[in-house]
This record gives sequence, C-alpha cells and structure tokens, in this order.
Amino acid sequence: MGKLFDFELVFTSIPELLQKLPITLELALLAMVLGLLLGLLMAIIKMKNIRVLTQIVNFLISLIRGTPVIVQLYIAFFGIPMFFKYLNQQFGSSFAVADIPGFVYAVVALGLNQSAFCAETIRSALQSVDEGQIEAAHALGMSFFQTLRRVILPEAFEVALPTLGNSLISMIKSTSLAFTCAVVEITAQGKIIGGRSYRYFEVYVSLAIIYWVITIIIEQGIRLIEKKIRLPEQVELVTAGKEGK
Amino acid sequence: MVKIEHLSKKYNDNIVLEDINLEIHKGDVVGIIGPSGTGKSTLLRCVNRLETPESGAVWLGEKKIEIAHKNVKELRYLRQNTGMVFQRFHLFEKKTALENVMEGLLVVKKLKKEEAREIAQRELEKVGMAPWANHYPKHLSGGQQQRVALARALAMKPELLLLDEPTSALDPELVGEVLDVIKKVAEEGYTMLLVSHEMNFVRHVANRVIFLDKGHIVEDGAPAEVFEHPKNERTREFFRKMHMMNQPEYII
Repeated sequence: MGKLFDFELVFTSIPELLQKLPITLELALLAMVLGLLLGLLMAIIKMKNIRVLTQIVNFLISLIRGTPVIVQLYIAFFGIPMFFKYLNQQFGSSFAVADIPGFVYAVVALGLNQSAFCAETIRSALQSVDEGQIEAAHALGMSFFQTLRRVILPEAFEVALPTLGNSLISMIKSTSLAFTCAVVEITAQGKIIGGRSYRYFEVYVSLAIIYWVITIIIEQGIRLIEKKIRLPEQVELVTAGKEGK
Repeated sequence: MVKIEHLSKKYNDNIVLEDINLEIHKGDVVGIIGPSGTGKSTLLRCVNRLETPESGAVWLGEKKIEIAHKNVKELRYLRQNTGMVFQRFHLFEKKTALENVMEGLLVVKKLKKEEAREIAQRELEKVGMAPWANHYPKHLSGGQQQRVALARALAMKPELLLLDEPTSALDPELVGEVLDVIKKVAEEGYTMLLVSHEMNFVRHVANRVIFLDKGHIVEDGAPAEVFEHPKNERTREFFRKMHMMNQPEYII
C-alpha cells in the first residue's frame, strides 16, 4: 500500500499540466472574443429593437441560458458535423467535416454560450450612457456607429468591465468541459496523467491550484485596467508655459 | 440665409408646432421667447432633426433639406452645418475639454489631429477655457461646461447656431459668464436661434425677437418693438406676469 495522499505529486504534476495551458487560454480567449462580438451585436439589435431580429435574439438568449454548457458542447460537437453531412447529401457538396478539429466546435459552443450572457451585460452598459451625450454627438453630425465607437463604448466599457471580468473567469472554468469536443486542455491532460498512476485526486488538486491562480491573475488584471481607465480625481490647470507644447 | 418652411410637429394629438415659417438673415440673432410648453425647444430640435417633424424643410443658403423624411446624406449635411448648445451641456464625459471640442473636427470633418487640436485650442481660448483644456467635464462647473459646449459647437463653423436655453441649468452666479461668451459670439457674426428665459439678455443680444404661443409665431420684430409695444394680447399678458414677478412683494 502506498501513501493515502501523495503530497509531492500535487506539485510535480503541475509542469506537465501546464504544457496544455496555452490550449486552455487560447480556447478561453477566442471564445470570449466571439462571445463579446456576438453579444455586442445582439445588444445593439435589442437596443434598436429591430423587428424579427430582436425576436430571434430573444429566442437564442432564452435557449442558451436555459441549457447547460456541457449539453451545448455535445450538441455543437455532434450536431454541426451532422448538419454539414446533411448539406453534403442534399446538395452533393463536399465539406470536409472530419477535418474540422474539435477545438473549433468548443470555441463556437463556448462563444455562443458566452454571447447570451454578454448581450445582457453589454446592453445594460450601453443604455447606462446618458442620452444627452448621444444627442450631442448626433448634433455634431456623427453617425450611429461613430457615436457608438467614440462616445458610447468608451463609457459603457467602464460600466461593463467588472461583469465582463467575471464572465471571463467563468469562461476559463468552462473550458474544463472542452474534453467533450475531444480537446485536450489542462483538465483533460489531468485525467490522462491521473490514468497513468491512478492518482486522480492529487492531479485534481493540482488543477484546482492552477485554475485558482489564473483566476487571481485575471482579477488583478481587471482591477489594474479599471484603475487605468478611471478618470483622474484632479487635474492641474494648463499654465501659460505648458500651453506652448 | 437660413429659411424654415412649413414646419409642423405634433405628439400624438397634441399639436406643438403648426406651419412655422421663418426667414433668418445671415448674422441675425433671433431670440425665441414664450410660455413653457409652446414648442420653443421643439422648434430648435426639429431644425437639426433631433426630433422628426410631420412636415417641413430647412434651407441653408441655396440648399434645401427636407426634415420630415429621413435621408442620411442630407441629414448629415444639415447637422454638420448647424451647431447645437444644450440646456444641460451634454459634454462627452470621457473626454477632456480639448478632446470634446476636437471630436467633431476629427470624426465628422476628418481633419488631421494637429489641425483639429489647433482649432480646438483657439475656440477654447475664445470662450476663456484654455487653462482647463485638459480637464474632464466632471472637474468643471456648469458655466465652464457650457462654455466648452459652446466652443465644441463653434469649432464646426456652423451656418446656424441653435442655443436651447443655454443658461437655464446654471446657478444664478454662473449665468453671467455664459451670457458674456454668447454675446461675444453673436458679435462675431454667427447666425443664431436662441431660446432663453433671460429676457434682459435676449433684449440686448438679439436683433429680432419671436414670441411663440401654442405652436404659432404671434409676434415677430425688433426687440424694442416686441418688448415695449407688443401687438398681441397673449404677449402683453406674458410680459405683465413677468413684470409682476420682478416687483418686490411689499412696498412700504
């Protein structure tokens, strides 16, 4: 009988787990970017209340929020190839479905999942911007998208940042489910290492440590950005000497 | 010359403006006065189409712009050539005073950064805000914010400047500094439509006064004429009330 808990293994397995860290981070970041872009699009559609599109967005958000991530991942992994095979059969096209790596399905599924939550965060942040500033921008002759980019987003970003930071943290943790799409990120790697020695528990503890550290880093990063974009409390007057510069 | 033609606006069944026609000569400062809720602000907001009227057109020089229908290109032209100063300033919160003035030059007029900065600096100097160029709106008093807002509108060199009660949201102490700047701008020859409750100011700065009541222009003339010898009964009543308010409560 060996030891009940191999304390050393918790730390010695970390380097091997970290080999797959780039995959975890890549997956999380790509899915987050996809989620943000789609979320922004959905938020604008809801804000401008565009007919038909608003209903579609509402339906999507309801569907995504009402189903577990793991089920969405399975549906993406099995459903999308089936859809393409159907297309191939129907139209005689030849999409190489089998060549699409599982990573892509994971990004799509996690990104879509994130977009539903981001949409609400972004919409409320956009709507928190004072209507008057938008009118002022229009009065200057700025178009809707110019106003969005130059006036609304910079202010809405600050409002949305803490919530989006939380979303990113939960996204990092959701990537641990990407094994369902045959992606080997750190959690899947952990299972493989555990399978070799049957010391699953130690490896799970190592994984917990890694996720926790990543989360702490993200939290601190968000705090730093918040500090950086906050307007200064006080500004010195421009003196005559400085003005020339 | 600026012309407003057949401007009508209603909210549901409530008629706010009915067939307003107005010809404004270049360099004119037209003061619009009248009781609350008679469509003074709505008139200004329709002219640059922040509100959509039921009918109407605006002539800027030789160019006619239909404002009842949406035409992106015409709308852009209209807004680029009219400037607006709001009651509540509406500066961009995330930009400094200088950046606020530069914004329209950069984004709409597509000027180079140095050029925009130079113009913005000059406009800020004109309104006496140059030392505060690097301040954010939250660091400025209401009067200072309104002066920056004025600089922002002026930087675009508008053919028509719309001022929507520019001093109503200010502490009485700060009204003066804004009025001084508006007076200076008026003397530079900008064409202005000015909605204001500061009767004395309107009287001094405007060279034409319009009295608006229930969506109609009921009085139109030189300030001395309108203020001293109003023709319309409604106008007379309005001034009577104003004068009463100016009188002391008791005379011993």
